[in-house]
Amino acid sequence: MANAGRVSMRGIVKRHGSFTALHGIDLDIAPGEFFALLGPSGSGKTTTLRILAGLEPLDAGQVMLDGVDVTAREPGERDVAMVFQSYALYPHMTVYENIAFPLRMVGTAKGETDRAVKDAAAKVHIDHLLARRPGELSGGQQQRCALARAIVRKPRLFLLDEPLSNLDAKLRLETRVELRKLQRALGVTAVYVTHDQEEAMTIADRVAVFMDGRIVQVGRPQDIFARPATSVVAAFIGSPPMNLLPADLRDGELRVAGVPLPAPRMAGRDGPITLGVRPAALRIAERGLPARVYLVENLGDTTIVDLDVAGQVIKLRTEQAPNVREGDHVHVAFAPEAMHVFDPATGQRREG
Amino acid sequence: MTGKRLRTVVLVAIAAVLLAIWAFPVLWALLTSFKTERDVLAYPPTVIFTPTLRNYADVLFGSASLLPNLLSSVIVAGVSTFVTLLLAIPAAYALARLELPAKRASGFYVLATQMLPPVGLIIPYYLVLQKVGMLDTYTGLIVIYLTFSLPFAIWLLVSYFEDIPREMEEAALLDRAGRFRALWYVILPQVRGGIAVTTIFVFLNAWNEFLFAVVLGGNRVRPVTVAMFNYISVEQTLWAKLAAGAMLAMAPVILLGLIAQRHIVKGLTVGAVKGGGRRA
Ligand SMILES: Nc1ncnc2c1ncn2[C@@H]1O[C@H](COP(=O)(O)OP(=O)(O)O)[C@@H](O)[C@H]1O
Ligand SMILES: [Mg+2]
Repeated sequence: MANAGRVSMRGIVKRHGSFTALHGIDLDIAPGEFFALLGPSGSGKTTTLRILAGLEPLDAGQVMLDGVDVTAREPGERDVAMVFQSYALYPHMTVYENIAFPLRMVGTAKGETDRAVKDAAAKVHIDHLLARRPGELSGGQQQRCALARAIVRKPRLFLLDEPLSNLDAKLRLETRVELRKLQRALGVTAVYVTHDQEEAMTIADRVAVFMDGRIVQVGRPQDIFARPATSVVAAFIGSPPMNLLPADLRDGELRVAGVPLPAPRMAGRDGPITLGVRPAALRIAERGLPARVYLVENLGDTTIVDLDVAGQVIKLRTEQAPNVREGDHVHVAFAPEAMHVFDPATGQRREG
Repeated sequence: MTGKRLRTVVLVAIAAVLLAIWAFPVLWALLTSFKTERDVLAYPPTVIFTPTLRNYADVLFGSASLLPNLLSSVIVAGVSTFVTLLLAIPAAYALARLELPAKRASGFYVLATQMLPPVGLIIPYYLVLQKVGMLDTYTGLIVIYLTFSLPFAIWLLVSYFEDIPREMEEAALLDRAGRFRALWYVILPQVRGGIAVTTIFVFLNAWNEFLFAVVLGGNRVRPVTVAMFNYISVEQTLWAKLAAGAMLAMAPVILLGLIAQRHIVKGLTVGAVKGGGRRA
């Protein structure tokens, strides 16, 4: 059963004194999945990962690995490997010794260890650095060393806590792709913590969105993007994220800032709603919502236009350079199907 | 001359004066140890004289040889250092890592032991050792040394352990090292400097200790610091032999200092920087 790696967490509660860091987390991860824990800082992602690793005691709940309850097991008895945000390389050992350490601890034979270390190092392209110490490596090389140490003993579960956050932007993009390929090649289940929604959306098979110690949505990136479960998720996902505007629904008619718009087909009570529209779904048109151009950001292949609609700034994204200038009065329109409707009180999505 | 150069010159001058003040007695003793007793008493003191190794020969192999006493010092300082570290390392590690309610209190206790004037403890210690029949025994003197060195060593080591991120042993635990091997393979090598500094301080304290040794020791346990006083008697003081004995007693100290100089300086500065910025 080497390398299965099915994860199941049930009702995980974690408290720090009177503060509750996790309010009952339920999570199921399939073998071989690349699963991201996404959420703003302080939402409980690291805590969840550490509970999975066995590094953090929990106040309630159950952790299952491949159908076995491991809640009470020590970290070393779970067959999981972790890449820490700080890498946690052993500074007094060479890269070789660092990578060999997990094998040495289980008494693997010298020759086999040697082969495995070189193999793991080659997979992350640091086989020429084996004699160095972590202090003599660049940030990117240290990160790879931490990766090699994690993959060398072929764990069934691979935990990564913001592994790219200490790299510069360019390296981050490259490593992201490589990490994904590596995980595919190894076929290992990966749980990946990040606060960067773009990173989670591009790298993961599925994503769990954390907010304030709760999972508010789990799904494939495209599904979360297409149907965010709450207005908070909507405002967190996408770059720029979804525009949210207060609106009013009455007798099948939608009004935004007093302007009537073609209403989407939706089952929903009349009354105030929160209307969501992705920046890319907005366009400048002859008729629609009156808006004033606030700022035009040209990003080369795309342009972001900040628009002032009745005192609220919304963002429009377009591939074509729009013929507008700051201060212009324009109208913005969007297709009824592009609308997302949320309950203004609870933030929950209303299905149409 | 620029202000910076002036500063350097002043600093060097101050350092030179301090060094001279510190070095004078040592140099005096060094010179004296090669003189005959007659030359020692010559007035005005001579700097140029015929050096002799007589004193060293006497001190080492004469009727009142210091060799057994040097051995005595080695046993007392060596064993008490070894036992101190054996107990202090795990204790400091536990204190650094565990959330213990008595953490603050134990810190205060250490300070208290270092502030108490040793003289105040001599009589109680004497009486206790006498009751249990351990006066003039190695065990007795070493146990007494431990009461000072152990809290001090723990206190010193805790700050070194606290500097190692927790993720170090968490990584080791995930690598299946278990608690003990995580400490042995991952944590201890990273606090080598702290262990070196602690070893030296504890060893030197025990080696140089005089007061407890003279009162709680005796004929069997007589470290070199005590034995040197054989050369001072009511009728006369044998300065040259005393000096030669002092040089012999100092030799291991200086040797140790030279070997561990790098660690000591680093350890002291690290402690200094941290002490200032540390939260309670
Ligand atoms: N040892 C602790 N004591 C008190 N609060 C803690 C402790 N560890 C974490 N927290 C709190 O728990 C919450 C979740 O932390 P964490 O899981 O690290 O968040 P994330 O990784 O999503 O940024 C945060 O609000 C954090 O301040
Ligand atoms: Mg975190």
